[in-house]
Amino acid sequence: MGSKRIFKLTALCAALALAWGPALGQEEPSAAELSKPESVVLVGLGYWTDDRPRLGVYDGMQEKGPYFLLDALISRRDDATGTWFTLDARNLGLDSREFRAEWLRQGDIGVSIEYNQIPYASPYTVMTATQGLGTSMQRTPTPSATSLGEWQAGTMREGWSAGFYKSLGGGTDFRVSLKNEHKEGSRLWGRGGAPEFAAEPIDSDTRQLEAVVSHAGKAFQIQAGYYGSSYTNRNSLVDTANINAAGTTLTNPFYLSLPLDNQAHQLYVNGGYNFTERTRGTFKVAYTRATQDEDIPVGTGVAVFSGAPTHLDGRLDTTLAQLGVSSRATSNLSWLASLRYYNADEKTPQYRVVQPAGGCGTCVDTTPLAFKTLSGKLEGTYRLTAGTSLIGGFEYADQDRRVPVGNLNAAGVDQQRYVPWRVELQELTYYVQGRRSLSETLNGSIRYGHSRRDGPDFTLTNEAQSDLINPIHIADRDRDKFRLMLDWSPLQALTLTFNAEYARDEYGHSDARPYGLLEGSATLYSIDAAYSISENWQVSAWYSRDNAKATQLGQRNANAGVATAEAVKEANLEDIGDTFGAGLKGTIAPRLKGGVDLLLSKNVNKYPETITPTGAGGVFPVTGGVTTVPLPDIQNKMTRLKLYASYALQKQTEVRFDYWYDRWQTDDWSWLFANGSTFTYGTTTDGTQVLQAPKQSANFFGVRYISRFQ
Amino acid sequence: MKTLLVVALLGALLATGAVAQDKPARKDLVLNGDAKCTRCHNEGDEAPVLAIGKTKHGTMADARTPTCTSCHGESDGHVNKPANATERPRPDRTFGKHSKTPMEERSGACLACHQGGNRIQWHMSAHSNRDVACSSCHQIHAARDKVRDKLTQPDTCFTCHKEQRAQVNRPSHHPVIEGKMSCSSCHNVHGGNPKQLVRDSVTETCYTCHMEKRGPFVHNHPPVQEDCAICHQPHGTTLPSMLKARPPFLCQECHSHSSHPSQAGGLPTGRTTSNQMLGSVARGCLNCHTNIHGSNSTQNSATAGRFRR
Repeated sequence: MGSKRIFKLTALCAALALAWGPALGQEEPSAAELSKPESVVLVGLGYWTDDRPRLGVYDGMQEKGPYFLLDALISRRDDATGTWFTLDARNLGLDSREFRAEWLRQGDIGVSIEYNQIPYASPYTVMTATQGLGTSMQRTPTPSATSLGEWQAGTMREGWSAGFYKSLGGGTDFRVSLKNEHKEGSRLWGRGGAPEFAAEPIDSDTRQLEAVVSHAGKAFQIQAGYYGSSYTNRNSLVDTANINAAGTTLTNPFYLSLPLDNQAHQLYVNGGYNFTERTRGTFKVAYTRATQDEDIPVGTGVAVFSGAPTHLDGRLDTTLAQLGVSSRATSNLSWLASLRYYNADEKTPQYRVVQPAGGCGTCVDTTPLAFKTLSGKLEGTYRLTAGTSLIGGFEYADQDRRVPVGNLNAAGVDQQRYVPWRVELQELTYYVQGRRSLSETLNGSIRYGHSRRDGPDFTLTNEAQSDLINPIHIADRDRDKFRLMLDWSPLQALTLTFNAEYARDEYGHSDARPYGLLEGSATLYSIDAAYSISENWQVSAWYSRDNAKATQLGQRNANAGVATAEAVKEANLEDIGDTFGAGLKGTIAPRLKGGVDLLLSKNVNKYPETITPTGAGGVFPVTGGVTTVPLPDIQNKMTRLKLYASYALQKQTEVRFDYWYDRWQTDDWSWLFANGSTFTYGTTTDGTQVLQAPKQSANFFGVRYISRFQ
Repeated sequence: MKTLLVVALLGALLATGAVAQDKPARKDLVLNGDAKCTRCHNEGDEAPVLAIGKTKHGTMADARTPTCTSCHGESDGHVNKPANATERPRPDRTFGKHSKTPMEERSGACLACHQGGNRIQWHMSAHSNRDVACSSCHQIHAARDKVRDKLTQPDTCFTCHKEQRAQVNRPSHHPVIEGKMSCSSCHNVHGGNPKQLVRDSVTETCYTCHMEKRGPFVHNHPPVQEDCAICHQPHGTTLPSMLKARPPFLCQECHSHSSHPSQAGGLPTGRTTSNQMLGSVARGCLNCHTNIHGSNSTQNSATAGRFRR
């Protein structure tokens, strides 16, 4: 299996590819040099000529300006003792910096420490007068503000990890790792009580601790461990309200809850046993208890039902048990069978949370959920000839889905339910696959699979219209999947790979339950080519086209407030992607090598929807002089070009030059009104606008000095 | 191809009389006992054999490390070409793209030492049962195995997973192409979990980084607890937060409630606070139902259960 290059934005990537190869023009290295671990340090400067709001969200180089580039991969080994010291430090000059250091006496003991920052800078610029965005008190201006300030959402994840390894001898190891990640920042949010802008404050920590004892013998392997995780949020409630120009709060605060601290503890045992050279059995059991029992925050002056919990006593117990057997029964026939039981059982007590004084039509209870799935698989592979094999198998899954009902009406229907429920779900899948070597240079495989999902009648909701839908994840469904792969090497220097995939879903619906997704399909064609022009020059290219479609049927209600007629809607959604990648690399002169990578991507989303009135009224809502228009298509285009050249100064040193070009173009209307003007929150309040430049392009120039040593 | 080159090289050596048997005894170079092979094989091979010395396999102080024949077999016929053979037989086990060695035997060479830990369930994995051998992805002789570096790992995975290659280049994606995550951040490709995930389910895998979604919440949103992938495509989409579809269409895959949740998609022509017109623009339905992953509000209000508080 060869591999094809894809475009990497990160500065280090291509540099590494060069750095790990021998420098051009150097003398033939000795055997000792060729077999001794190698280190490399890359240091340099780069400059982006413009901001890259969309394409720079994660790489720490979103803004125009200079960047310090520093990467180091140090690898030292004491051959006498087999002791390694490795340091892998990347992007040290950027917000995406990370490093990992490890000391390891191979086969005996080791320790490691790791630091990793992952930035996320929102691609949008927010123009707003809302105060306190990203904090626990946010105030929305009234009247709507016209003097707006710039604000940007974003988060930074900052993680520390430590690990320890010790061989206990006889094939038994002990490993423990601890990771703490702090996440801080904010993300786009809404006020909830009104369609006004807000920003969720994020200031939390996650911790993960895993300790594992593993034993690996020739016949028997086992792994037993503890995995614990916890989440701590420093914010639990956000107080929002409208204020006037003088800063006086005009409305009662509207409180938005936030996720509360939670934790989980898991014990697991995972093992395998080779019954014979040809037959192996495996098993895994795991038990996890997750809890959430923090003080539930309540805003000042907020009415709370007397029976509502002050602590949720939330608990989710998850049990996993699985068994598997695989066997090569004969030289031509192999098979495997597995059975899996997975039970996610929420044991949170059921509380009444909402109960109006006048009655229980809109009572709300907590809804602890439980999903229990028993699944099995049987698969066989028969080798007809050395190059031809046939695979067949089937899988079965039976799910028991439980949610308690509380707020029952006279008919026994849970009045708080908005979506039909299904207490059971079954899915049967079968598939066949053929693989054949058509010649010395041509291999192919073809696969077809079909699955059918169904279950008993849905339980009803509180509302007749809600009962007309087949929810996507529990609806009856027939799924067909085809896959064709061809791998052809017509010349020793040329490899071609062709993929075609097609999947089609048909969802169950009836006159009594007509709505929801009716059908969907996904098609993918892909071709890859790699050609070695000469010993010193290689070129590769690939192209993929994917197309996903969905047909969705629904009912739109008549609404006097916006003068709409009752109607049937049919949306025919489509997502089309074209992606092209190409790369060329080679030796330009004895001491000079270089290359180019190109990635072109175009995505088109279509949202046509027909609205067929079935009663009196308008097709589109109208109120206050505002109406809506059908959703236009959206097209996103991306170009990423990377040119690089590396010149060998000496045997172990190089200087590398990079030029990158990024281009992003979109006609996304998500934050626009129908006429293309900027969407503005509120009418008499707020005034926030969210902006995205429809065209973004930037050039990067970089130079690095690369030193390799042993 | 590697094997063919090896055979060609050896053939050339034979033609010039420089047969292996005539060479003086040589010392091991990078592995214990490698002289049997390195007397002929060197950096002239397509896969530079000596680079294995830079890897953990080449740490000779560790008594567990292999020699060439641990993986390739004793290959006596290859080392000592039978007199009646016109071509030098191949080693007992070869690992290149055009290898004739059965996949089980190729992977078996690795599993002889590496069957423990996260590879215990290898035989139950989709890769194992689709004739993907360890050497299909791993470069054993390379100083740095591409698939074990998160920066370059996706190149290897995308060799077969073309759909995911297209998806990670969509505007809303996890930071895979930026090198901050890799496929193995979520997938244990040696394991037997559904979708070969690192944890036992989709939600458990997502919680490793998105633990705030774990709850339990006072007001649960059932698909959140069941499977994040009902609404999200984690490999990338054109929509914010890697949503599979745009509101209101996404929400209307389950919700057929009367009143404003039944609205058609549409862009407003001007400023409005009508919930009948705000299901598509800006954050769509989430303009108001902002705590869509679950709410902890105990306010005695009917809207408390609708993820608005």
